Amino acid sequence: MKKLLSKLYLLLLMAFTVFMMVVIWDVTLGKLVAEFRHRKLSQQATEMKAGQKEASETTTFKQAILEGEKRVKHYLGYRVLEQRWLKGHFHHIDFDFKPDKHNYCINCHGDMPHDKVKELRAFGNMHASFIGCQTCHVRLEGSARTGVFKWYDRTTGEIVDSPVEKGTQAGAYNAKIIPFERIDGRLQRVDTPERVAFARDYRKNEKTLTDIQKSKAKKIIHKIVSKKPYLCGDCHRKEGSLLPFKELGYPQERINVIVSTEVVGMIHKYTEFYMPRILHPGESEEK
Amino acid sequence: MLRLNAKTIFRWSFSLLAMVLLAPPSVPAADIGNCLLCHKYPGLSRIDEDGRLRLLFINEATMNSSVHARVKCEDCHTDIKKIPHDPAKKVDCLTQCHIVEPTSEQKFSHKEVARFLSKSVHGLKDRDQKPKKHPEDLPSCKDCHDNPLYRPLSIFKQKVHPGISKAALGRCRVCHKKDEFIYRFYNHVTTRLHKIRSPKNIAEICARCHDDAQLAARHGLSTKAVYSYGETFHGKAALFLDERVPDCLDCHVNPGRSVHQMLSYKDSNAITNENNKGLICANMDCHPGASPKLAEYRVHPEFDLERNPYQFYAQVFFLGMTGSVLLPIMGLLFLDLLRRMFPNASLRRRK
Amino acid sequence: MATQPLIKIKDGKKYFYRFSAIQRAQHITIASSVIVLALTGMPLKFPDAPWAPSLYALFGGIKMAPIIHKTAGTILFLLFVFHLFYIARSIYTDLVVPLRRKNQLSAVAVLKGILTHPIMPSFRDVRDFAAYLKYLLFLSDKPPEGAKFTWKEKFDYWAPFWGIVVMVGSGFIMWHKELVTRYVSGEIINFALIAHSDEALLATLFLFIWHFYNVHFSTSVFPMGTVFITGYLPEHLMVEEHYDYYRQVMKEAGLEDEILPPPGSRREPVAAEMPAAAPSAASRESLVGGEEA
Repeated sequence: MKKLLSKLYLLLLMAFTVFMMVVIWDVTLGKLVAEFRHRKLSQQATEMKAGQKEASETTTFKQAILEGEKRVKHYLGYRVLEQRWLKGHFHHIDFDFKPDKHNYCINCHGDMPHDKVKELRAFGNMHASFIGCQTCHVRLEGSARTGVFKWYDRTTGEIVDSPVEKGTQAGAYNAKIIPFERIDGRLQRVDTPERVAFARDYRKNEKTLTDIQKSKAKKIIHKIVSKKPYLCGDCHRKEGSLLPFKELGYPQERINVIVSTEVVGMIHKYTEFYMPRILHPGESEEK
Repeated sequence: MLRLNAKTIFRWSFSLLAMVLLAPPSVPAADIGNCLLCHKYPGLSRIDEDGRLRLLFINEATMNSSVHARVKCEDCHTDIKKIPHDPAKKVDCLTQCHIVEPTSEQKFSHKEVARFLSKSVHGLKDRDQKPKKHPEDLPSCKDCHDNPLYRPLSIFKQKVHPGISKAALGRCRVCHKKDEFIYRFYNHVTTRLHKIRSPKNIAEICARCHDDAQLAARHGLSTKAVYSYGETFHGKAALFLDERVPDCLDCHVNPGRSVHQMLSYKDSNAITNENNKGLICANMDCHPGASPKLAEYRVHPEFDLERNPYQFYAQVFFLGMTGSVLLPIMGLLFLDLLRRMFPNASLRRRK
Repeated sequence: MATQPLIKIKDGKKYFYRFSAIQRAQHITIASSVIVLALTGMPLKFPDAPWAPSLYALFGGIKMAPIIHKTAGTILFLLFVFHLFYIARSIYTDLVVPLRRKNQLSAVAVLKGILTHPIMPSFRDVRDFAAYLKYLLFLSDKPPEGAKFTWKEKFDYWAPFWGIVVMVGSGFIMWHKELVTRYVSGEIINFALIAHSDEALLATLFLFIWHFYNVHFSTSVFPMGTVFITGYLPEHLMVEEHYDYYRQVMKEAGLEDEILPPPGSRREPVAAEMPAAAPSAASRESLVGGEEA
């Protein structure tokens, strides 16, 4: 036993020695070689590019997507402000959403899916940051319609207490609203485990599916999605709002703002001027 | 000078707490147009046609601790007259805004900065007034600046640390009644007493262009200026957040001038010019009494046989020696271990 | 020096005198100062490494670590000066005085004495190294029979000698740059930085891998050799590393009949089969120390 241990120990030390040899090569002779090559290359680049800029700037997936997310830290002394870095962005962000691990729509559509209607896209994305997709895009009809909405945690997916309190930053919650439906007399969240599992299995098998199978799967996944989503005025109204603000934990003063003349008036202006486009989002380009 | 020892960490947190507790009312004076009604939402964003993230969120608290806190939104975003509005145009930083400069009572504008910049090494014309090649590479305001944030200092009994001094606020409140004004004024003055960005942040900003090998090649610059700064003690200390070490601007800008008036080292008036650079290091704040020879230190050495032959050979000698001593030794060590693995194996045995 | 017995016997095991108290004290000083220097210096050499900020913070970050580094450097420098003085004194008392007593004092004699000192490199080291290499490559089952100081130990001694000169010299230039550049061009700081940084890497890796392996992690000494504290080396290590010298010491002590077979003989492990020291050894008090000498 002792002999075995000592052999094992020797083996470990040997592995360590090899590892250190690689490290030493990297920081000494390897570094010399690399520096030398780097100089050679940049000299060549200088000779080639001295007068001209690259003819075409191709966007590779790596450049645009993988390397696109940079972060920056501002050292203010009394605090360190760490935030996403966007080229040319002047205002400080100083806020990060935790990723929504639960929502299965995001897996394909991403976090900022709204872009069709110029007047609505940013507002759509803004609302999507604290309202689950199904809230607007699923119209529950008949007995399925319950009028029950609850908050779920972005990280765990569990139903949680309302994050909206007096004084919290509006829209900066770690939770989203999800509607509840009634199936066979039972109250359940619209994103049932079955639906989540179906979408997950589709993603898992996507590479091996035939084109027809893909179309079938998408049809089933999107079966509950309504062609006509709920729009601004369905909630931003003094009477008969789709969302039960009180039950969702909104304090009265926040409700007052949501249904205020400013907000509702703005929506009114939108619907007045841009109504056709909002009702026919697909045709926005032609108009 | 910022002291960053354990004792002051306590003080920071205290002053931070104080800032939070005593923070001015959260309704910003500048949001007269009620822009925050929508723009206070962090999710207000979209992906534009080129696939770039457009974040339309304004963080009210951070905005309030920036130098532009009192500027109205529509003073810069002049094309926005009504709500709802169309996609906003790019802001022109030279716009005259409604802030009044108190001594001249002129409306404020960044025009003077643009004038400085046009005559500087970063201007669009070279020293012979000919347009430079690749003007698109040259910086405009937002290539270096985001919204400058206050970095207040607390000065008490000769001790300086980051944050707001409660003791000083007490004195302010004797005459000034509006806390919002007191905070703004305090922030403004103490931020201006030192640099608004840490050396590390300055170097990061310069690196965006000056460490871009292709951009440097297009303009005939020695490559990777910030990288080589990072190899010096100054650069490494900056990386460890030392505020006392010089950043790029401290050496490259003539004393008493603005960053926007930086000159090319070829300019005979530039502090970085061969004839003047002896003065860079030997100032009162850095190396008082140092000889001009100290400035012969090469801050941006390149591993280049033609430009720095002596350094090239020194580097080759020392790195070569390190490698050629350590690698064989590691080989011996490996063999020694292997020999201990099989202590009795041998090609030739003692009789 | 002569008061220390060359062989000490404790619990029936022999221990061989290697290092005097003053040498051990010097070793502990250089060891602790170099460890502190490496820990406060390496984060600056590799500031981007993930371990760098936390290690640096342990020494008080950029405000405090440079001060600690300079202090340790000064201690190392003072030790070096002391060591030079120590060598000079040793040459005087161990070489000049006996020669003078014999009326043979001359520059050539002193130089010869210095060059033949066991710590000086010699052709024997080349031979031993070749034998070691042969042993490592399985060409032989007979490791070299080491002298009082093996080639490894000589390397361990002379490498830091050069290292300290480079490190202290370049460190001084960077510390007192204002003074130095009064006389020399500032470009010397570039050289100092290159030398300091690369030589530091060499020294650190050399000491923490090679030296630590030889005195800590090798299966012969694991977990730690104690000779740097006690000054005495146990017999099995003496046999393994310094067999030639071991034989000589044993002969001088009149213990010829107790000499163990040379290293690499087909016994293993050496220590296990070591015959218990004869109690008669205790009677030879002149060279051999008693149980609690």
